[in-house]
Amino acid sequence: MATMLFDIYRYDPEQGGKPFMQRFELDNIDPGMMLRDALIRIKAEQDETLTFRHSCGEGVCGSDAININGTNGLGCITPLSELKQPVKVRPVPGMPVIRDLVVDMQQFYHHYREVKPYLIRHEPEQEVEFLQSPEERDKLDGLYECILCGCCTTACPSFWWNPDKFRGPAALLQAWRFLADSRDQNTAERLEELEGPYKLFRCHTIMNCANVCPKGLNPTKAIGLIKQLMLKRQI
Amino acid sequence: MSSHHLSGLTAWLVQRLSAVYMALFVVAMTAVVVSHPGYDYASWRALFAQPLVAVTTSIFFISLLLHIWVGIRDIILDYVGGSPSMRLLLLSLLGVWLIAMGIWIVRIMLRVMLI
Ligand code: SF4
Repeated sequence: MATMLFDIYRYDPEQGGKPFMQRFELDNIDPGMMLRDALIRIKAEQDETLTFRHSCGEGVCGSDAININGTNGLGCITPLSELKQPVKVRPVPGMPVIRDLVVDMQQFYHHYREVKPYLIRHEPEQEVEFLQSPEERDKLDGLYECILCGCCTTACPSFWWNPDKFRGPAALLQAWRFLADSRDQNTAERLEELEGPYKLFRCHTIMNCANVCPKGLNPTKAIGLIKQLMLKRQI
Repeated sequence: MSSHHLSGLTAWLVQRLSAVYMALFVVAMTAVVVSHPGYDYASWRALFAQPLVAVTTSIFFISLLLHIWVGIRDIILDYVGGSPSMRLLLLSLLGVWLIAMGIWIVRIMLRVMLI
């Protein structure tokens, strides 16, 4: 069956040398094959040193975010049939490369941790469950589904420019997820934490995040809602 | 309220409000100018000597300077990420330049309005 060409980013900092693109040719491509399947086969059949992350293989775990023909996405849910050849596969941009397609996600997780992605109550814990009305629960749709793949944040120019200070779309989407939660009581502190020119306000509504999110989420919209809430509480 | 408090939400709000004001002002000014063809120097001065025009024009220039401050500050914060001292230097230069422009504008406006 069909043959496809791949140009894959190779880099091993421990060996020294410069990053380079390596050409691979893969035959017997099935019509339904995903990019992740191709990477697995290249590793098994042609070069076992090729290094990449992957796990669930169905867009749930969020570990195989890569840059595919210039756009971030998950290898496991990107059909080869939709890709122009040679397929250029790179690590997600703006992150330190550990090896080949594997990047260091420290910075990303740091920002996630900083938004305190969990419910915070100031009142004493109650003995029963915290109930939500269906409407209150609906507000979390489009927020809780994030798999923390990092496609959005690493596609964001504001994050490339200020990776240490700007929280990035993924963390800000989660910030809004807890601001929007009727059970959370930490609104004032959460908003105060995001004030200043960098953490939230480096966002210039470029919208790369919403374009690339494999779960179809919209961090730009969440960021807008955070700004709105800040404004409402000021006046 | 700490100063960092003013630098996020307030800057963002100032940018938007000044943009809206300037857009409205430019449209209104254009309409005024187009509807009175054949301006000469005297009628031009008379126009700006009217209190309403003088005040709205002054607000326009205040908006312009504030808008420039937020916009150029954004560019500096985006592109000069690595070096805090470089950032401080550029922001100071920007501030000095905007203050100088402001003084110049006040001088012109005062002369137009008072004489
Ligand atoms: S918002 Fe979307 S792109 Fe960003 S980390 Fe979550 S799932 Fe990935």
